[in-house]
Amino acid sequence: MEYARKPDPVDVLIVGMGASGATAAKVLCEAGLKVVGLERGPWLRPREHFSGDEIKFLNRTYLWSDPRVNPRTVRMDETETAVPTPFSMVPQMVGGGTVHWAGWLPRPRPSDFMMRTLHGDVEGASLADWPITYDDLEPYLSKVEWAFGCAGLDGADAYEPYRSTPYPTPPAPPTRAGRRFYSACEKLGINAMPIPQALITKPFRGRTPSNWTSFWNGYGDPSGMRSSTLDTFVPEALATGNLELRAECYVREVTVGPDGRARGVVYLDADGREIEQEASLVLLCLGAVESARLMLLSTSRQHPDGLANSSGQVGRNATFHEYLFAVGLFNDSEPLYGFPGNYISGGSFQFYETDYDRGHIGGALIGASHVGQPINWNFPGRPSWGSAAKDADRDFYNHAMKIGHTLHDMPVESNRVDLDPVVKDAWGLPAARITHQAHPNDIRLAKWQVDKNVEILEAAGAWKTIPVYLERGRASGNTCHQHGTVRMGNDPAKTVLDKWCRAHDVDNLYVLDGASFPTATGVNPTLTIMANAWRCADYISQVHAKEGAQR
Amino acid sequence: MTSMADWPVVGVPADPGSDERLFFDDHEWDTIEAACARIIPTDHDPGAREAGAVRFIDRYLSGIDYVYAAADGSGFLRMSGKLADAWRARIADLQATYRQGVRDLDAGARERFGSDFVSLSDTDRDAVLEQLSGAPKPAPVALTGDGGNPTIQVYAFDDGLAFFDALVAHTRQGFYGDPVYGGNAGRVGWRVIGFPGPESLKDTMDGTYSVRGYYVQDYDWRDLIPHLRGADAS
Repeated sequence: MEYARKPDPVDVLIVGMGASGATAAKVLCEAGLKVVGLERGPWLRPREHFSGDEIKFLNRTYLWSDPRVNPRTVRMDETETAVPTPFSMVPQMVGGGTVHWAGWLPRPRPSDFMMRTLHGDVEGASLADWPITYDDLEPYLSKVEWAFGCAGLDGADAYEPYRSTPYPTPPAPPTRAGRRFYSACEKLGINAMPIPQALITKPFRGRTPSNWTSFWNGYGDPSGMRSSTLDTFVPEALATGNLELRAECYVREVTVGPDGRARGVVYLDADGREIEQEASLVLLCLGAVESARLMLLSTSRQHPDGLANSSGQVGRNATFHEYLFAVGLFNDSEPLYGFPGNYISGGSFQFYETDYDRGHIGGALIGASHVGQPINWNFPGRPSWGSAAKDADRDFYNHAMKIGHTLHDMPVESNRVDLDPVVKDAWGLPAARITHQAHPNDIRLAKWQVDKNVEILEAAGAWKTIPVYLERGRASGNTCHQHGTVRMGNDPAKTVLDKWCRAHDVDNLYVLDGASFPTATGVNPTLTIMANAWRCADYISQVHAKEGAQR
Repeated sequence: MTSMADWPVVGVPADPGSDERLFFDDHEWDTIEAACARIIPTDHDPGAREAGAVRFIDRYLSGIDYVYAAADGSGFLRMSGKLADAWRARIADLQATYRQGVRDLDAGARERFGSDFVSLSDTDRDAVLEQLSGAPKPAPVALTGDGGNPTIQVYAFDDGLAFFDALVAHTRQGFYGDPVYGGNAGRVGWRVIGFPGPESLKDTMDGTYSVRGYYVQDYDWRDLIPHLRGADAS
C-alpha cells in the first residue's frame, strides 16, 4: 500500500457530490467555509462526454452504477438469502442522480410532513411526522427552484400548496401524447398540468435551452438545458475558491476521536492510496443506501454498532418509491410518437391526498411519460422475438403512452439497509443488503392508482391497456429514489438525526441526503432533498460553524 | 490510473460493410447471424441480418475495446480502473455464454432435425430457438390474454443473462443502436419503426439533431387545462 501525504484539515468535509452534497457545498462555500468534497465516481464534463447514445447510456453502465463495481443484494425478509440485484442503481459520480434524471421537480405537500398526525398508528408501519413542516421548507424550495432552474406553469395545479415565488421558466411544449393525456383528463374532470421539471425553457443564468434531441431520461445532457448539480451548483461552489473537489475517491470509513466525535474520513484515491482527511464537520451525502452503509461500516469502540447508531435505527425504515404504471397501446391513425419530449408529458395531483373511500392512505402524483428510445422502449408482455416482436415495434412504437406514479410507500422498521455477510464491492467491503417487503397499504394504493391510470388511458382512446401492479409486494428498485435509513426526529431513542439533520450521538456529523426522510412523501424526492440540504447548510453556516470555530 | 473523465478515444467507428471477425469463428458467426435473423426477421422491411446485428455482437464480445463509443462517435473510449475490470469480467462471461450457446443451438438442431442450426429452414430454426427459450414462440399482440405483468426498468443490463435472453437483447441493440457500434447499418432499424435518429452522435451534442418539430407546435395551455380558464376542474 502506498501512502499519500496527509492533507490539511478543513472546515467541512462532504462525502458524495450529488444532489444534496453539491447543494451543501454551494451554500457553505458561498458562506465562506473551506470545503473538501469527496466523490467516489468520476467528474465528467457534459459538453465533452454526453450525447444521444442509447446503448452507452441505457444498456451499459456509463452513468448507471455498475453492479459489478457497486453490487447490491436484495431479499424480502430475514429468512431469505439476499441475491445480487441491480436495485436503485443511482449514478455514483459528481452530480449523482441529477446527471441522468428526467428532472421531475414537484413540491411535496403539507400532508407529507405529518403522516402520523393525520393517520395515527397504522399496523405494520412506522409512520412518523417530520420534525419540520412544509412552511419550514417552503423558502428553500423556492431557493432551489430559482438557483437550479425549473420549468412549470403558474396556476395550472388546482391542488398546489403555497408558493412564495412563481416558476422561473415556462414548461416545455406539450408532446402529442401529452395533448392526448390533457384531453382525456378534461373528459374525466381531472386537473392535469405540466409537472414541474428541472430544465430551463428560456435563457436562464447563462444557460440556453438547446437540447431538443429527446435523448433525455437516463442520458447526460450535453447542452446545459437540464438542471443538474454537475452543471450548476458544483461550478458555482468552485467559483468561490472555497471548494476542493476530489473525484474517484472512495470513502471507506468515518473516523472518530476519543470523544466519539467525527474526526474525518479515510478514503482510497484513484491510484489506490489510502488517505485520511480530517475536518471540523463531516456531512454524509451519499444517498440513503450508501450513507447508511458507510455509517454501519464505521464501527469503533465508541460506536460499536455503527456510527451514531445508539438507537439501533441506522438503516431502518427504508423506502424506495417503486414505479408503477399502465401502458396504453393505440390503434388509431394519429401518431402519439414515442420519442420526442423531455420524458414527462403532464400529470396530476388530484389523487395525492388520502381519501379513505379508496381503501388506503396516501396517494400519488401521476405522470404521463415517454415510452422511450427504440432499443429500450417497452411494454410489459411485449413479444420478445420473431415477427410478432417486429410487428409490435412497427405498430406501437409511435402509438403508445404510459401513465405512472412513484409509490408513496409506508415506512416499515424491518425494511432496511445493512451489510451483506458475503457479497463484497470492488474495494472488498461488504455490499449494501436491502431487506424490503411492501406494506399492505402500498399494494392497495398501487392497485387503485394503476386502475385509475388505466381509466385515463381508456378515455384517451387506448385500444389495449396493460397494468403493472405491485402484486407480490416485491419491489424491483426501478427508481433511484431512496429515503429513510437515517431518520430525523426529536427523540434520540427513535431517530438518528435531529431536525437539522445532525446526528443525535455525534454533534459534528450530518446526513443531508434522502436518508433523513421520516416518510417517503408521494413526490419525486430530489427537490425536497436539495431544499432540505440547503436549509441545513444554512443552519451549519450560521450556527454550527461558528461554534466550531470558537472551540 | 487514468481518470474516467480523461479516457482516451481510440479506434474508429465500425465499418458497416465489414464482415471482419473479431471474436466469432466462421461457424459461430454464421450461426449467430442465422439466429439473429429469426429474432428480428426480414420481411417487407429489413431485419437483423441487413442491419448487421451479428457484426455488432461480434465486436461487443471481442473485449473491452468497443464497450463505450466516444460521445461524438469518433472512436471508442479506452477504459481503465475498476469499471474496466468489471467489463473485462462481464465480457468474459458473455463470451462463454455465446460459445456454449452456439453449441446448444447445434445440439438442439441435430437432435431434432439431424443437422447444424445453420442448415435448417426458418421454421426449424424457430423450433430450436423456441425450445431453447423455454417458452412458446411469441404470438402477436392481442387485445386479451395477458398474464401477470412484471415491471420494467429504465436500464436493461445484460449481466448474467442466459444465452437466449442475451441473444434477444443484443439483436435488438444491433438493430436499433447507434451505427457506430456496428449494427443498424444504414440506420435501417430506425426507419422500420419511424424513429428519425441522428446522422451521427456528434449531431446530438451541438443542436444539429432536433425533434422539436414532433412536439405540438401551436398550443395554448388554456386550451389544454380547464383550470387555467377558471373552469371547475373537479
